[in-house]
Amino acid sequence: MGKEYVVTLCEGPSCIHKGSRRLRQLLEKKLEKHGIAGKVRTFLSGCLGMCAKGPIMVINPGYVIYGGVTVDDVDEIVEQHLIKDNPVARLTVKESHLYNRFFRVFGDAKFFGKQMRIALRNCGIIDPESIEDYLSLRGYEALAKVLTDMTPEDVIEELKKSGLRGRGGAGFPTGLKWQFTRAAESDEKYVICNADEGDPGAFMDRSAIEGDPHTVIEGMAIGAYAIGANKGYMYIRAEYPLAIERIQKAIDDAKKHGILGDNILGSDFSFDVEIKLGAGAFVCGEETALIHSIEGYRGMPRPRPPYPSVKGLFDKPTLINNVETWANIPVVIIDGGDWFSKVGVGKSNGTKVFAVAGRIVNTGLVEVPMGTTLREIIYDICGGIPGNKKFKAVQTGGPSGGCLPEDFLDTSIDYESLAEVGSIMGSGGMIVIDEDSCMVQMAEFFLEFTQSESCGKCTPCREGTKRMLEILTRISKGKGQDGDIEKLERLGHMIQKASLCGLGQSAPNPVLSTLKNFRDEYKEHIYNSKCRAGQCKAMLSYLITDNCIGCGACLRACPVDAITGNKKEKHLINQDICIKCGKCYEVCKFDAVAKS
Amino acid sequence: MVTPLDIIKKKRAEAVSRIIGKGYLSTKRVYVGMATCEIAAGSDEVMRVFRDAISKGGLTDVYLSQKGCVGRCNLEPTVEIIESGKNPVRYGLITPEKAQDIIDRHLKKGEVITEWVID
Repeated sequence: MGKEYVVTLCEGPSCIHKGSRRLRQLLEKKLEKHGIAGKVRTFLSGCLGMCAKGPIMVINPGYVIYGGVTVDDVDEIVEQHLIKDNPVARLTVKESHLYNRFFRVFGDAKFFGKQMRIALRNCGIIDPESIEDYLSLRGYEALAKVLTDMTPEDVIEELKKSGLRGRGGAGFPTGLKWQFTRAAESDEKYVICNADEGDPGAFMDRSAIEGDPHTVIEGMAIGAYAIGANKGYMYIRAEYPLAIERIQKAIDDAKKHGILGDNILGSDFSFDVEIKLGAGAFVCGEETALIHSIEGYRGMPRPRPPYPSVKGLFDKPTLINNVETWANIPVVIIDGGDWFSKVGVGKSNGTKVFAVAGRIVNTGLVEVPMGTTLREIIYDICGGIPGNKKFKAVQTGGPSGGCLPEDFLDTSIDYESLAEVGSIMGSGGMIVIDEDSCMVQMAEFFLEFTQSESCGKCTPCREGTKRMLEILTRISKGKGQDGDIEKLERLGHMIQKASLCGLGQSAPNPVLSTLKNFRDEYKEHIYNSKCRAGQCKAMLSYLITDNCIGCGACLRACPVDAITGNKKEKHLINQDICIKCGKCYEVCKFDAVAKS
Repeated sequence: MVTPLDIIKKKRAEAVSRIIGKGYLSTKRVYVGMATCEIAAGSDEVMRVFRDAISKGGLTDVYLSQKGCVGRCNLEPTVEIIESGKNPVRYGLITPEKAQDIIDRHLKKGEVITEWVID
């Protein structure tokens, strides 16, 4: 009698308030009474994030969630569910079954409280190298459901209903893309997963693949079924060895289970995935360049149209989506497009994963519903700026995004709102900048990256970014000229309009947005030779003030012996030797080293 | 007729029993984060300490598994312990030495080492 069960009780403050502790005592007593205490284990968890329906009880295997459980219900749960294996329907909570499994185990509510994990629903929960772990949490059920009772048109319809948009940056409606690819006539079609994550500071795709590779494969298989393809490519950068290893293992395991290959799960649908490694060119994240790279050519973009949905890989119709987009697909299928469309705001449905880095207390991977504000991510989830420093800007969308100052912290995170204030959603990089960073240098850094990654095919991007970079370097070296700001703006707008692909069209964004939001800093650099953050070395000198007691700490710390002075006498920095490394400033305990 | 959905449901039931067969229902479950970021922070060494404790050190009734990245980058490597009848615990910034302490104090004596807990 009775299977082995694991009962998890929510121990969040709200559930405790509603009596979850009494429930637990009672439950344990009943288990003893029925003699099944050895078979049923009880676990506690931190807040499960479903406070409105508390107290919450989750029973595994089966993943049945009970809400609003009272002491009067315990008998029924024990006798019906735990002994007779017959879940109590009237108590089950009919929410999404797939997302936010996170809270079902752990608390850490400060970090996870405002998050909602759809794409990353299994990341950090399951063993990514175990197909059993994935299967046990309803893995591949979406694929099976599609093969059992949905036509390709049904799948596309569901996706259109969900309002899911491409998570790689452009935000094109995924359902429409699938529809176009399905409508294109051809004897052969392909699906591609774009895992060529190249933005500096971004690691969403790597974490998603390393944490839950099967989700991506399941999404791709559903896409292939919907458009009528039998072959898929996973384009992943060679710099991600562990991700490659895990996705390869996932593909092999899925084949062993008959989930990939010929006649998947006994149906007449066949699909196989092959891994293609990228050699590290940033431009290969652009879809047409990526397709060229798979074909064996040099990774360079071509003009669109024709779009890949009509003429893509090997000139066949090709469906290409980003890792995160694919990871959302199984949830849309199982929980339905209607459910998915209720998450988010305006025309941006669902969630978005961000890799938060820079000057922030909790760097990390965050998945939030669209419509969350930048302030909520930076201050509530990630704990704000370390060391009592002042927030200066946040860069969203990686090297192609814009820098937003404090006034924009309450901007809602969705495609439209971010575009409106001069930034982009991008693939999900988010870099927080504090008062110690110089905005001219930031812009220079990002432009240096895009400039060196420009493939050189079109002139505006190849030549324009080079010229912009020269001007920026000149400004940060203290040699800025009157008219440089206007030149940067003119060049920037020209490159945005005239470049062939997304790389060039977005490369000037960091410069243009800092020019718009931090224009004074540029002016100070050019006209007053001043860098207010004290970062541009050409404009910086370190001086020892009268506070100096002659302890010699700076003298010992100086790597180039630029500091001289006798013990207990004021020291002196030789400006000709000084390399402005700032070591003396860091070690001085008497505030005797000043930046100017 | 057997549908793909029937097949996948059967596979799920089999997967669950295989997981249980691996000792999932042990009173203590230990998870070590093993993504590139966690490994770079030293989680493979931490994993080894737990593995050795189970294979050589006489640590019993423990289910050990790896997992992906939860997103707590600045606190990696992370170790999670789920114990029957107790609140689950996530430890951050774990070194091999701290892992040994977790084995000796938490897993063997039931003492939660609060100063390392992420809460």
